[in-house]
Amino acid sequence: MLNIDNLHVCVAGKEILKGLSLVVNAGEVHAIMGPNGAGKSTLGNVLAGREGYEITAGSVEYAGRNLLDLEPEQRAAEGLFLAFQYPVEIPGVNNTYFLKAALNAQRKHRGEPELDSMQFLKSVREKLRVLHIPDDLMSRAVNAGFSGGEKKRNEIFQMALLAPKLAILDETDSGLDIDALKMVADGVNAMRDPQRAFVVITHYQRLLDYIVPDFVHVMVDGRIVESGDKSLALKLEEHGYAWIADRHAPHESRAGAA
Amino acid sequence: MRRMKAGPERRDVAAVLLEEFGGSDVRVRDESWRYSKTALRALAQHEFAVADPRAELPAALTDRFDWAETRGRRIVFVNGTFSPAYSDGGALAGVSIDHAADSATLKFAGNAELVHLVFASIPGPQPARWNAKLDIRVCARGMHVIEQHVGAAGADVLGALQSHVDIAEQGEAQLSTLCDLPDSVSLYRHNRADIAGDGVFATAQALFGGRLQRHEAIVKLAGSRSRHSARGAFVLRGRQHVDVHLDVRHLARDTASDVVWRGVADQRARGILHGAITVAPGADGADARLQTKNLLLSPHAEIDAQPVLEIHADEVKASHGATVGQLDDIALFYLRSRGIPAAAARGLLIGGFCREVFADIADADLRSRLEAAIGTHLPQPGEDTP
Repeated sequence: MLNIDNLHVCVAGKEILKGLSLVVNAGEVHAIMGPNGAGKSTLGNVLAGREGYEITAGSVEYAGRNLLDLEPEQRAAEGLFLAFQYPVEIPGVNNTYFLKAALNAQRKHRGEPELDSMQFLKSVREKLRVLHIPDDLMSRAVNAGFSGGEKKRNEIFQMALLAPKLAILDETDSGLDIDALKMVADGVNAMRDPQRAFVVITHYQRLLDYIVPDFVHVMVDGRIVESGDKSLALKLEEHGYAWIADRHAPHESRAGAA
Repeated sequence: MRRMKAGPERRDVAAVLLEEFGGSDVRVRDESWRYSKTALRALAQHEFAVADPRAELPAALTDRFDWAETRGRRIVFVNGTFSPAYSDGGALAGVSIDHAADSATLKFAGNAELVHLVFASIPGPQPARWNAKLDIRVCARGMHVIEQHVGAAGADVLGALQSHVDIAEQGEAQLSTLCDLPDSVSLYRHNRADIAGDGVFATAQALFGGRLQRHEAIVKLAGSRSRHSARGAFVLRGRQHVDVHLDVRHLARDTASDVVWRGVADQRARGILHGAITVAPGADGADARLQTKNLLLSPHAEIDAQPVLEIHADEVKASHGATVGQLDDIALFYLRSRGIPAAAARGLLIGGFCREVFADIADADLRSRLEAAIGTHLPQPGEDTP
């Protein structure tokens, strides 16, 4: 489904991703862990098509197409979803209007009939229930005045509604208490499907107790340095990222890394 | 704010403006006009006749003010003159209205009355000007005056409306203004409001289009515990020019004012938002807030935001803020990442930016009309933004 090969990315002239390779197949859940500044969020943003990231080498193939050729909205319509680390507040735009516009734009792009208000609300109510989100969320402005936990749950709710093929969760667990964490995990687990893949970016092993990954990758200084199954996350939790650094002999660029 | 040189009482304000900016240049050094004098001087190069008060209104124009919710409560002025033919005021029981040729006095004595005033600017064969005066006296609660300006395209029209709102003790009034004008119409509106003790005056304004719109509001919080709130937005494109001067004066104890405006300018449009708050000596306990946010959608558009705070009392809460910026890239990316195409995402953001200020208008019909008007003035998908 997703094939990232030797990806190099610069932000404001500084190289952040330094030859990252990753293959994600349908039905798989991949966790990407790593210390601050490793480039985890950059990866999520590059895949979703945010501006300001210069791809200097490498390729990203998604569902048989060159992902990097597509506009962000085309990527979304083709089934890619990024749950933001910092969901954006949009005052004056209510959630119902926003999500209906998003869903119908995606459906239109795919040549599917647009949903009318009744069909849309029916779909919304089901998803709200699963995530224990009160109905009044839909009449509020997008993320405006939401608590950190509400914003993250809103991201998962959007994911449930838009039903992507590939979902990238960028530190969706950060700032969540244990109840909210479980709700988010329940939301993700309810969507696990042989046709759907997840890339879960996280600092902490805790989330992976609830969303059990098929693969765990450790990212350090712009590339994946170690991959394994979920036991790798447990080892990381026990030994910390220093353990990974010790296992991977210093290479030439580490001297400059913070 | 400077008083007009000829005094606000002089009737033919439009003629005075044209004369002062065209021939005699006496107003050129007036600081409050610094951003608009060029625009007005250009207008004053033409010969203006008195606009025809019996001009016919095209059906497309009457449709724009024929609102179901204000039938029987509508007073129409054609080129500044009261028009019995286009008015429909049969249901105005608690409002007394005195009409002279180019002025009207509205007195609200009962509670919860709604009046819809329409000012239509209709061009003639040559540039034309009109004047009107409006006197609104409020001595009860729940009064709502809707002031709507419409116009037909054609030769230049310059309209001037002077209004005075007088709110008695414990009176409460809302003045909602919708100006949606073709690029051949210019409009000067000068509003004074006096609020007595425990009185409340709320305004909401949505300004679109026009060759030149100049709006001056002087609000005096004259009685203790009087309150004023102002909400407004302008959305401009082409070479449209809107110049807003707000002047809120706290003159008594424990008064409150709260001003929130949004401005959007695209292409080569120009917006000016001057907001002054004065707290007079002895007006302790004043709570004054002024916030304006502005969006520039093109490198050739310009918005000048000037908050001015003058405080002569000790125990005062006052805050002001003015920003001019561009569309938030991260918000745009967020919407696009959910599948919304770039042009539609821009429209959503700009619309939301403006609609936010009208969110607390209680009259749902009016709120949806203001929001709809914003929607029709947003940059359209596929439109070139130089």
